Amino acid sequence: MHSAIRPNPGSNMILEDVISFLKKVPPFQFLDDENLQTVARNLSMEFYPKDTVILKQDEPPSDALRIIKKGGVKVSMTSEHGDEVVIDYRGEGDTFGFLSLVGKDRVRSNITAVDDTLCYLLGKEMLLKLLDSQLSFTEYFLKSHITKYIDRTYQEMQDKSMFYGGSDRLLFTTRVADMAIKGVISTQEDTAIREAAVIMSENRISSIVIMNRNNLPTGIVTDRDLREKVVAKGRNVLEPVKNIMSTTLIRVDARDYCFEAVLKMIKYNIHHVLVIKDGAMAGVISNHDLMMLQGTSPLSLTKDIESQQTIEGLIPVSKKINNIVGLLLKEGAKASNITKVITEINDRLVRKVVEFTERKQGKPPVPYCWIVFGSEGRKEQTFKTDQDNALIYADPATDAEAEAAKQYFAAFAGQVRDGLLQCGFPLCPANYMASNPQWCQPLRVWKKYFLSWVSTPTAEAVLNSVAFFDFRPMFGELSLAETLRDDLKSLLADQKVFLGYLANMAIKNQPPIGFFKSFVVEKGGEHKDELNLKIKGLAPLIDIVRLFALEKGISETSTLERIETLRSMHTIVEEYADDFEHAFEFIMLLRIHHQYQQLSSGQAPDNFINPNRLSNLEKRSIKESFQLISKVQDLIIERYKSLIW
Amino acid sequence: MLSLFERKKKKQKIDRSVPISEARYVVLDTELTGLDEKKDSIVSIGAVRMTGGRIELGDTFYRLVSPRTELKASSVIIHEITPSEVAAKPGIGTVLAEFTEFCGDAILAGHFISIDLSFLNREMKRISGKNIPNPAIDTFAIYEWLRKRNKSRDCFATSLAGYRLYDIVKCFDVPINGAHNALMDAFITAQLLQRFLPLLTEAGVEDIGDLINLGIPFKGGDHFNLSGEFSNF
Repeated sequence: MHSAIRPNPGSNMILEDVISFLKKVPPFQFLDDENLQTVARNLSMEFYPKDTVILKQDEPPSDALRIIKKGGVKVSMTSEHGDEVVIDYRGEGDTFGFLSLVGKDRVRSNITAVDDTLCYLLGKEMLLKLLDSQLSFTEYFLKSHITKYIDRTYQEMQDKSMFYGGSDRLLFTTRVADMAIKGVISTQEDTAIREAAVIMSENRISSIVIMNRNNLPTGIVTDRDLREKVVAKGRNVLEPVKNIMSTTLIRVDARDYCFEAVLKMIKYNIHHVLVIKDGAMAGVISNHDLMMLQGTSPLSLTKDIESQQTIEGLIPVSKKINNIVGLLLKEGAKASNITKVITEINDRLVRKVVEFTERKQGKPPVPYCWIVFGSEGRKEQTFKTDQDNALIYADPATDAEAEAAKQYFAAFAGQVRDGLLQCGFPLCPANYMASNPQWCQPLRVWKKYFLSWVSTPTAEAVLNSVAFFDFRPMFGELSLAETLRDDLKSLLADQKVFLGYLANMAIKNQPPIGFFKSFVVEKGGEHKDELNLKIKGLAPLIDIVRLFALEKGISETSTLERIETLRSMHTIVEEYADDFEHAFEFIMLLRIHHQYQQLSSGQAPDNFINPNRLSNLEKRSIKESFQLISKVQDLIIERYKSLIW
Repeated sequence: MLSLFERKKKKQKIDRSVPISEARYVVLDTELTGLDEKKDSIVSIGAVRMTGGRIELGDTFYRLVSPRTELKASSVIIHEITPSEVAAKPGIGTVLAEFTEFCGDAILAGHFISIDLSFLNREMKRISGKNIPNPAIDTFAIYEWLRKRNKSRDCFATSLAGYRLYDIVKCFDVPINGAHNALMDAFITAQLLQRFLPLLTEAGVEDIGDLINLGIPFKGGDHFNLSGEFSNF
């Protein structure tokens, strides 16, 4: 053994601690190892006893960016009258002093230690160098909204091994273009079936694209067509392929995620989707490709549902939904992707139950539409949520018909309720179900309900509006629901007073900004609160976006779809659309993670998270989501000034 | 109680009016083969630089030394430094030259620093005929001084068993990880001094002249050390 002496072998131990800390702290965690090493070597460390004033307003700029290693600080400003206004609390992993440092400005606020506090100091020179060379680092500091680095939050969540499985190739992160799609094999539409089959087997493909004389794709022939339309039917294999081709050519863009392809397969009940790149046909992606990608699939579950003929048959299938959520989480799905898949599956289950019930009970006396609302209406279900459904039937022409309809639908709705319960949809404790006679009514009664809620917004009416106005049709005569939606639209035009009530609702749940003191202030004891993600996070976002949607009379019901549509119509949404989406996705994903973990360990899912278990980045994201809600609530107050009490 | 030697040194280089919040310190720790000055020798030296209360994390000193005396099994167990690890390392002469350069004219600080200094100075004398010229302060002496004036504070109220570094730093909430070597101990000691500085300011200690007077290295630290866990050995 010998001999070349490393200059400072043992210094690694101090720096190792520093680096492992920085790896959890944005924006330092976005740096590569080499840069992290350099940063760590250039850090110094200071200690401030509780109540130390670290930076003072209007004094010369600080010489370093400070990163809180332990403890916490209060950011405050002194007003002209000498009052202290607290602006923010910062805790472990947060930084301060950036603006004055970079702006060469006077210090803008007072920074006071609210606890014994340890800080790492990053000197100005090093900071400027990083800002100059590290894009993600710069972005972080220059961003004023949460949009820029939120995607990294997802990345971070995916890195947590407790949620994610590691080496699977991911349905939601793999683009269609990245799948092994070879050049498309095609043939002309007058090719003989046998010849086409030979081409397919030679190329080991399960589908072949059929081109017309102008060399445009007109159809596709798959293994299934050969099986079902040729072999089973004893068809002559010398017939042209155009006789057996499927002409529904469903396409995805090469830039789409594989998930989109799955959704299309589910939707159109097909196995092959054409991939389009830059306007030209680039390949075919099959459900087999996707199965290989993901192991088990939501697609196979929907197939399973579709093949069932009885409610009893649906029960075991419905139990698999939680596994699907686990799978999607593991694959790094965004919250909106998870709820999309769950909605698709749940919708199918509900339709099946309604369909079976109708079959059992015989033809209804008048057409009807089964509608869902609440989270189901907004397509935001995660794990099985309470039934929120109702029934609209066509206005009966005679008293006799009215009586017959009443009898029929009362029994019908009760049956559906029980069927859904068997499939794992719990009853609604508030009895918002079609089995409640109040919510099983002809169209004209529904119109009357809506009119009275909007014109006389009692507390109960507002509560009903908030639930029911997120309705969407599920099964039956869809035009009944559409008529009701149109009616609502014209009802709401210029109903400033009613919207004022909704505005009050939207600002009722103020986010707990002060709550974040507990990250900062006390080590133990007094602030052991947990955070209700639904009430404090999701509900205000949903209420705000619903208010805007009803203001503009759009018919979308899901929060994200509403945002998308309002983007070009609504001034507030136009400005904050991205922030809204990210905040919604983020809180939703936190909630899904949380509930999935609870379910996996045999607990009943709830909405309470312990903020102390969040990573710094998560804490920061959630804090910024709350700040966004707060800001928009202020805008709403401004907008509805005279109607806010 | 200033010795003739220290008075001479003061004239040479130290401006005693520098505020304690601006002075430059080098906080050090050594690891030894044992505590017998005649038989034992230095295994490693660790040190961190501090300006006022600001510890420089990247500018540290840590060297293993090829010991002149044999590593004993007991010290191998404590330091986890094995004979083969140190055999190929530079001798104390080389390391000391680098170390004094690292120290510059900073004030040296350490917990029971007289032990470290006696070993360092014995080697210095042997090699160059001089002691290390820097003034030195003892975090244990500072602790005792503060204790007399801060009876109400938890960490000063009752005497901590054995005055061992680790008992004291734990009370002052200095983060400690499992590692135990000269550099980490120097780092921990520096953080202790970092916490003492505001308390000293509060107690009216302004410049390093005062600090040097009240922080005179405590002799006989080995008695404390022998009673419990080891700091140097």
